[in-house]
Amino acid sequence: MFGAGAMTNAIDEIRDSEMMFVIGSNTTEAHPIIAMEMKRARQRGAKLVVADPRKIWLAEMADVHLQLKPGTDVWLLSALANVIISEGLHDQAFVDKHTKGFDAISAKVKNYTPEEAEKITGVSAEDIRTVARMYATTKHAGIYYTLGITEHTHGTDNVYCLANLVLMTGHLGVRAAGMNPLRGQNNVQGANDAGATPVYYPGYQKVTDAAVREKFEAAWGVPLSPNEGLNLNVMMKEMAKGNVKALYVMGEDIVISEPNVSQVEAGLNQCEFVVCQEIFHNETTRFADVVLPGACFAEKDGVFTNSDRRVQRVRKAVDPPGRARADWEILCDVARACGYPMPNYVNASDVFDEYASLTPKIAGISYGRLEKNVAGLQWPCPTPDHPGTPTLHLDGPMIGKAEFQAVDYRPSAELPDNDYPLILSTGRTLYHYNSGTQTRRDAGPVAKQRGNFIEISKRDAKIYGLEHGDRVKVSSRRGEVEAEAWVSPRVRFGCIWMPMHFAESRANLLTNDAGDSVTGTGEYKVCAVAIEKVTSETAEEALELAGH
Amino acid sequence: MSESFSIKLNGQAVEAFPGETVFQVADRTEVKIPSLCHDDRLAPVGACRVCLVEVAGQRRLQPGCAWVVTPDMEITTESDRIEKHRTVLYNLYMADHELDDSGLPIETANGNQLRDLCKTVPTMGLEPVNAPRAARPADDNPYIHFEPDLCILCARCTRYCDEVEAVNAITLSNRGGETTIATAGQRSLIDTTCELCGGCIDTCPTGALIEKKAPANLVQLGGTESVRSTCNFCGVGCQLDLHVHDDKIVKVTSPEPGETLNDGNLCVKGRFAYDFVHHADRITEPLIRGKDGLLHPATWEEAISATAEGLMKVRDQHGADALGFVSSSRCTGEENYLMQKLSRAAFRTNNIHQCAAT
Repeated sequence: MFGAGAMTNAIDEIRDSEMMFVIGSNTTEAHPIIAMEMKRARQRGAKLVVADPRKIWLAEMADVHLQLKPGTDVWLLSALANVIISEGLHDQAFVDKHTKGFDAISAKVKNYTPEEAEKITGVSAEDIRTVARMYATTKHAGIYYTLGITEHTHGTDNVYCLANLVLMTGHLGVRAAGMNPLRGQNNVQGANDAGATPVYYPGYQKVTDAAVREKFEAAWGVPLSPNEGLNLNVMMKEMAKGNVKALYVMGEDIVISEPNVSQVEAGLNQCEFVVCQEIFHNETTRFADVVLPGACFAEKDGVFTNSDRRVQRVRKAVDPPGRARADWEILCDVARACGYPMPNYVNASDVFDEYASLTPKIAGISYGRLEKNVAGLQWPCPTPDHPGTPTLHLDGPMIGKAEFQAVDYRPSAELPDNDYPLILSTGRTLYHYNSGTQTRRDAGPVAKQRGNFIEISKRDAKIYGLEHGDRVKVSSRRGEVEAEAWVSPRVRFGCIWMPMHFAESRANLLTNDAGDSVTGTGEYKVCAVAIEKVTSETAEEALELAGH
Repeated sequence: MSESFSIKLNGQAVEAFPGETVFQVADRTEVKIPSLCHDDRLAPVGACRVCLVEVAGQRRLQPGCAWVVTPDMEITTESDRIEKHRTVLYNLYMADHELDDSGLPIETANGNQLRDLCKTVPTMGLEPVNAPRAARPADDNPYIHFEPDLCILCARCTRYCDEVEAVNAITLSNRGGETTIATAGQRSLIDTTCELCGGCIDTCPTGALIEKKAPANLVQLGGTESVRSTCNFCGVGCQLDLHVHDDKIVKVTSPEPGETLNDGNLCVKGRFAYDFVHHADRITEPLIRGKDGLLHPATWEEAISATAEGLMKVRDQHGADALGFVSSSRCTGEENYLMQKLSRAAFRTNNIHQCAAT
């Protein structure tokens, strides 16, 4: 609607906020240092609103906690828009100057009244009105969101709803405001920027655009495919169907991190050829025909791009172990062995220069400049004398006028029923990281969290006869895992929550691989599950069955 | 910013802004004022009394960290009176702290700024106070050690834990000479609200808080080389200094507050979770699956050609779109660029993605 997926504002602006609207982001655990900025703003008197089905720590220090039912975000956000428009709190001047489609969005949200929203979302109409007024009338008010917004079959609709709020209130091109997706991994932003996506060349240049394709064909000296490729979610499904027959996986444990992993395993089993480029053996390397030992971040040169579009250096501090090598060198050798004349890059800087020369957004960045700019450079940075861009859209939306996107609520793909009566959401914790291959090898995270657990409300625990610390079997239509029950005031009645980090008890055996229609992102945040207490007898039976 | 005005700092006219402290004004000049209890990330408290300055018209010396300037104020940071104050103050600190053979406060691998200050004044040989200082008897957390004999009770650690990390796991406890840094019920940090961020270690000026992971004798071992890099966990992009000894990372710290976006802060993963780098489970050689179904070590030449043959065979039999390339948001920008180039230029397919939504 107004540009590529990235934070519109810089992280260090957060401390100057007057209001923060945090939705679908457990910031203190997933982005602790951004949370420190939020805490700092809070201590300076900024208002804080948290929308999350769980009573996360930020919710405890919030002015208002909107504890919505999982998957009802479109209802909540449309009701906020309803209040803003019906009370005339929108920024008419900004709407006239920078947007189109306001009439359509006004008509669309008319039916999303706070009273109706209360019935669907569980959030009181009064709280919805309070937050709508607060957001619309505060200048330095920023929206911060993460995967609680995107990991739904209606993830794109959720993002549209947030963008509608930003546009109708003119919170764009203002310091300490804007629309800020916090990226989950060190270089998600950079991997997308660099073109590791099925629809874009580096710098979000479309593979279906003939002029763009010609530019890359000239630069790389070969004809290129004019067709969009498969996104990861679809690629996994095509692999299970037998249409994708070889997989080259670098630095990702797809058998832990993708939804509905038993389908992924079935697909890998029938693949003719699988290559893993990795630093540790993981669940995915079990399927590899060839394993190439790569280097971790401390063993090679390069750049990571963080959530606020900041390109920063990674520097080699130690040698890779044994015969392991920097991943960029391995990729060059593989390309050459496949008959493609990859240039003779002397170092990572040479690779970066080629990448930057084809990518206008970062064309002005070089290793030389990054040595001098210790705090990194934020794109767009198109020329060597450009200082970088901490805040986007200071002079209005990037290209023409931004268009409102009117969307309707659609329920999540799988809702609770008699067989699977609870809603499961999954996520990360502070102490572990993704598949846990790194953090589960360090004493502190292990001391804090040894194994897998679910958070369950006191009321549900009573229904299922569970005490804190009991073993529990969690099952969905796709699989089952065992975990420890943590009776917690954080979760709603009827909902449970589980982290994704534990290979021996994989949350993603349970999750639904139904994907968002635009991004293909799986519905990690809502699926239907049943739970059952594991008694010592059933545990013994299970051990016997496993042959112990 | 509001309109500036002028004050006199050591006789020189300098620019100042309403609400600024002496420290904030001096920061923009060459004037250095010593301090132990101040950290720019924390509200000033004036606890250590090291930064006292003369303010014209004030009978007593005033703490530069907390004293707010007004137009035409005259501040003096070096004088005989201040020198005398520092001599007595540092000697009182020495009387209350364990000294080594050279008569100076002892130090740990993290250094001791009090010891450095004590070197600047003559020793008065005051009688030791020998006040008891309670330690946590058995704190088995794996990262953070508290050495009460080095503590000067400046409360930087407890204020950091409150004002920046906001978990309030540690606090000043007891009274008078028995005052110490404590957890609730003197429990191990693991059993408190502590999130093991290690910010208390980072802000401690005297080395009373030290990390358990770093070798205690780093100085004797010849010190470390420091390499600036970017954290490899979440998407915040904190900058790190990797301290390397003998080709091993032995400690991770943040750049100084104000220098990079993390403003001197790190979380438990960024500061401490680096054991994986040198872990024995790392894959150290290329492997090829044999007819027996097991992975066997191979040379790089063998592994690269096996990779190329495997991919080309599928392409030749089923077409390029039967290939899938899964790149990594954990790897560098350059590596993602090369992975998509491999997919697109070498194999002519756009089937290239990574865990984009996370």
